[in-house]
Amino acid sequence: MTDEVRDRARALGLDRLTDEHLEQFERATTDMERHLKRLPRDMPPTREPAHIYRAKRPTS
Amino acid sequence: MSGDLAYLGLAEAAALIRDKKLSPVEYTTALLARIDRHDPELNAFIALTPERALTAAREAEAEITAGRWRGPFHGMPYALKDIIDVEGIATTAHSRVLADNGARSHAAVTDRLEAAGGVLLGKLSTHEFAIGGPSFDLPWPPARNPWNRDHFCGGSSSGSGAGLAAGFFPAALGTDTGGSIRNPASMCGITGMKPTYGRVSRRGVVPLAFSLDHVGPMTRTVRDNALMLQVIAGHDPADPASADEPVPDYGAMLGQDVKGLRIGLIRHFYTQDVAADPEQVDALDAAVRLFAEAGAETTEITLPPLQDFSACGQIILAAEAYAVHEQWLKERPQDYGARARERLLAGAGLRAVDYLQAVRWRLQLRDQVAAAFSNIDVAITASSMDPACRVDDDAALAANYWRQARMPFNVTGQPGLVIPAGLSKDGLPLALQLVGRPFAEPMLYRVAQFYEEATGWTKHHPAGIAD
Repeated sequence: MTDEVRDRARALGLDRLTDEHLEQFERATTDMERHLKRLPRDMPPTREPAHIYRAKRPTS
Repeated sequence: MSGDLAYLGLAEAAALIRDKKLSPVEYTTALLARIDRHDPELNAFIALTPERALTAAREAEAEITAGRWRGPFHGMPYALKDIIDVEGIATTAHSRVLADNGARSHAAVTDRLEAAGGVLLGKLSTHEFAIGGPSFDLPWPPARNPWNRDHFCGGSSSGSGAGLAAGFFPAALGTDTGGSIRNPASMCGITGMKPTYGRVSRRGVVPLAFSLDHVGPMTRTVRDNALMLQVIAGHDPADPASADEPVPDYGAMLGQDVKGLRIGLIRHFYTQDVAADPEQVDALDAAVRLFAEAGAETTEITLPPLQDFSACGQIILAAEAYAVHEQWLKERPQDYGARARERLLAGAGLRAVDYLQAVRWRLQLRDQVAAAFSNIDVAITASSMDPACRVDDDAALAANYWRQARMPFNVTGQPGLVIPAGLSKDGLPLALQLVGRPFAEPMLYRVAQFYEEATGWTKHHPAGIAD
């Protein structure tokens, strides 16, 4: 396992991962990169997220 | 026990129980005996609750005998995926992490099924935390496919699918975040509904990804599925995503034909975006011909590429799931099985902006799909691209995770219903998926039941577990 992967995991607070876990972490994040490449980055500023915060109506 | 009783449908059993021609106690006893005989080879159950079941069955029988029949679920055996809370029983999520997680109250759906007089047989196998499986490195073995136990039974609601196909119970609940009701329905040759997002309360269900999680009914027939959804659907103020929409009569359109209905075929999902197994494509083509010959107007529709929905859904799923699991993954990563750990770690390095862009993209995808659905009543497409692979084939199992057309409708929140569509040359189930507009579950049931009656595929059961 490369130090780069270990360091990346540690930076995320994942300092108890074994070498086997780190291999899984690397495969998982590499696979996620494939999905991230498809994310559109040019959406108009006014396009809101699918779920937004709602104020809670007072109960009394 | 006769095979007839094992594969008795919920609707048929309900009528017999109502008319006092079938005793809930005898029915429950017979199913428990069948489970005892066959589950050691199939692992559908994590925990059986026979004493609790027989007590509930006796109570139901006494009430019905006294003339107080509550409805079709009264005295009906059922089982729950083990991420759904039942007071007093551990909800393990099939994980060492929650092995001692005793539930202090019922989930909303458990409350509803109990109030309807259901008889809980036990808790069912799942992929670990509804994401990591099938796995052989967990405290409980993975469920096996009753059609061929060397093959994958789908997941993550794996015990629900396996148990229904094996004739262990007539009804079960599953959950679906990226296809986990519809995948085992496809692999096991049963009927699985992912209802509209918010239609069924998620309260008391271990979350995987808050904005993608759905609870839904799994049965052998379409009518049974409608009956079970009738029991569990409804608004729940305790679930922030619960829809405050009226609950229709889910059986209202059953028995109607498809003449004049506009059925959209999303063919590019399984021929262009991903190339499905030819037998699966043939099954879908045959279904479309059947609908056309019955007078439906069939037309191909085009949605964004399947890979867009997969990417959007997987980013949201990974981020939301990591929010649930971060602390455990930091403190006790060794307590997860390898498959769940790897899939959950996918969310560790995601940036907030990536999650938010995916959540913004989601609305765009939803609107594009809604526009395509404005001219059709229902759509048909693939569920899985392939019949069940071998359970020990790691490469095929990894491919199964993305060779599917289910995630689009977790992203949009529309209802998706999977029904059996034949058998492969190797004797494994093929399936099709019907998709409707939001809250249009009755239309899905109408079209699905028409197909079911025209083809008879739901009458086929696995060989080898006849007694």
